[in-house]
Amino acid sequence: MESEELFQYIASLEAAARPSEKPSDLPTIEVPPEHFLSLMQQLREDPRLYFNMLQVHTAVDWVKKGIFELLYQLYSTKDRQSLRVLVELPRENPVIASVCSIWRIAEWQEREVYDFFGVLYEGHPDLRRLFLEDDWKGFPMRKDYEDDFMLEPGQ
Amino acid sequence: MGLITEKLPKMMAGMPGSDIIFTRMDAVINWARANSLWPLTFGTSCCAIEMMMAPGASRHDLARFGAEVARPSPRQADMLILAGTIVKRMAPRLRTLYEQMPEPRYVIATGACTISGGPFIYHSYSTVRGADTIIPVDVYVPGCPPRPEGLLYGLLTLQKMIRSGETVREPGIRHKPVTSETPEGITIEDIKSEMLALLEKDAVVDVRKAAEQMERPTGI
Amino acid sequence: MNVHVSTLDEKTRSSLAIESHSETEEYFINMGPQHPSTHGVLRLILKLDGETVREVIPVLGYIHRSIEKISEYSTYRQIVHLTDRMDYLSAIMNNWAVARTVEKAAEIETNERIESIRTIVSELERIHSHQLGWGVLGMDMGAFTPFLYGFRDREMITDILEETIGARLTMNYIQPGGVMFDIHPDFVRKVKEYLAYFKPKLDEYEDLLSGNPILQQRLRNVGIMDAETALSMGATGPVLRASRVPYDLRKIEPYGMYGEVEFRVAIGTAGDCWDRYYVRIEEMRQSMRIIEQLIDNIPEGKFLLKKPAAKLTIPEGRHYSQIETARGVLGFYIVSEGKETPYRAYFRTPNFHNLWSLTAMAPGGRVGDLVAIISSLDLVIPDIDR
Repeated sequence: MESEELFQYIASLEAAARPSEKPSDLPTIEVPPEHFLSLMQQLREDPRLYFNMLQVHTAVDWVKKGIFELLYQLYSTKDRQSLRVLVELPRENPVIASVCSIWRIAEWQEREVYDFFGVLYEGHPDLRRLFLEDDWKGFPMRKDYEDDFMLEPGQ
Repeated sequence: MGLITEKLPKMMAGMPGSDIIFTRMDAVINWARANSLWPLTFGTSCCAIEMMMAPGASRHDLARFGAEVARPSPRQADMLILAGTIVKRMAPRLRTLYEQMPEPRYVIATGACTISGGPFIYHSYSTVRGADTIIPVDVYVPGCPPRPEGLLYGLLTLQKMIRSGETVREPGIRHKPVTSETPEGITIEDIKSEMLALLEKDAVVDVRKAAEQMERPTGI
Repeated sequence: MNVHVSTLDEKTRSSLAIESHSETEEYFINMGPQHPSTHGVLRLILKLDGETVREVIPVLGYIHRSIEKISEYSTYRQIVHLTDRMDYLSAIMNNWAVARTVEKAAEIETNERIESIRTIVSELERIHSHQLGWGVLGMDMGAFTPFLYGFRDREMITDILEETIGARLTMNYIQPGGVMFDIHPDFVRKVKEYLAYFKPKLDEYEDLLSGNPILQQRLRNVGIMDAETALSMGATGPVLRASRVPYDLRKIEPYGMYGEVEFRVAIGTAGDCWDRYYVRIEEMRQSMRIIEQLIDNIPEGKFLLKKPAAKLTIPEGRHYSQIETARGVLGFYIVSEGKETPYRAYFRTPNFHNLWSLTAMAPGGRVGDLVAIISSLDLVIPDIDR
């Protein structure tokens, strides 16, 4: 599917999803958090789209804008089509619905994002730290993370 | 061993001639220790592959240098080969492993990460900057990762250190750590011949001479 | 909104509590983080019922070196160094993932010579990675000889690469805009010699290990994963292909010279450990086929089109590209603000995603089967933890 056609089709499924204007090298849509889960479910189950792989899920901390940008990159082995879904969350209370029930790998990817950024996933069966110890203070990939341990060159 | 290395020095201290006895004993004990090092393999990352090359695999063969059986259990090992980055989460486990090893124990740190943190020094919130912040290290083998020859040379350095310095009179005294920088152009054959020379120098019994003496009638 | 964040203690306690009313008692054992058959510092907590595995809880982070955080402070050329140390058995291919993303984003051109060299050294590295995987799998199954054979032949490839690159393991060879060094004058001859040597050897190895009935019984019908689960689990590489999904980036979105050579994608039929093992054997054959087609006609030209000292910036935006390493899809995602360093760098690593499929395969099997499954996944732990 061409990206224009893809965007139109997705918009017909979920009106809240709109093509992103952010510079990006793949077809990208943005969706508000409240419509997120229903959109993802349709992207997976719709026979014309059928995105059966969640290839990438990660987050970016835009500390100046005060938001976390969550990225979900989907791939369909049927059409060899990629799609990027962006969701913006406020930095203060970042809560979003979990997609574990749709793609099982999300359970790990979401735990990783929680570990690094502190994004909370509602409906996650087992949300805990992945790489760091359970008693680790703070979320290290946040841009304002501070630590006595980290070294700057020349220190 | 505990009787000889711990109780005997206390009992014999001050006795006439004890110094000479201890010097001979040191030589024998050090010779035995240096040539039967059992490594505990502690491979965490890239250096582990080169470490697997050195003792286990076909070309390099650590066994001929007197450090053969790589043990997965710390209680059966006396040399800890650190291969790979140590991170904060692993640090307490490493300490435990080290403490479970019986004395005397030696540590070889291979690769930039175990020496200083390597490429992960700056801006890392989890990498420990050098294994010597957790446990004492005897020999540093630089490289990223060091070649198997480098590790063999590091082992040789450790053996030289054990031969020259250890004494039963001062149990638990550690040496100053050394860096084993493999000289330029050294090959595995050079290491082998150096090792053989050391062994020959050490040999307490010259087998051939002893055999000749056996053949002669002793005259009793 | 109440989202509960749990801990490892809580997780192990709660999963026991649920089953405690059953007649047999279930218990936990630890496997790792220093365990001879976990290929590194992987720690698994196993919930066992007798010898049957009920649940596998992987515990990670024993080699988490915060590569992504360091990348945010590093230039793109410095990031290439870090990728060597993630999956050190496919270091060159990891370099390529960064180089490809940067080249695509900054519109840096390469020529056919560069792409040919890249493809050849990558395939050589794929062979040596699979050789190691083959040898270690043999060792885990109780046969020591494959380990010695695998390492012997792998060593020959590292010798060939060392002549050109100067390193044995952490290559740092492929750079944005080319490769670091031109190939050694003996490279072509030695690669051909090696292929002539290894082709009959591979058949011999198959006689030695693949034909072994003990190995077959330990691998066949163990750790079965169907295609649907594998896709949902995010598995890629030989793990996914063994489950009958012909997903290979070298065919699907060809990069380098893969579009111009003939090769076939090896897929399994049942998705068990045997298929994962055999897909790797077959991939070695296909890699040799690719090298054979390219080695005689490496075009003339420059090997590095962009000077290493030149400033390298990437236009603002989100950039992603991926390549097929020996273990699966390695993707590199950059969020750039138009500076010399990325705003955010994310590595989608194959082992991170492949390991998760262990939790789908192991439950219901025996502890001994778990060792076979871990071996057949061919994991490199620093690639999981980054």
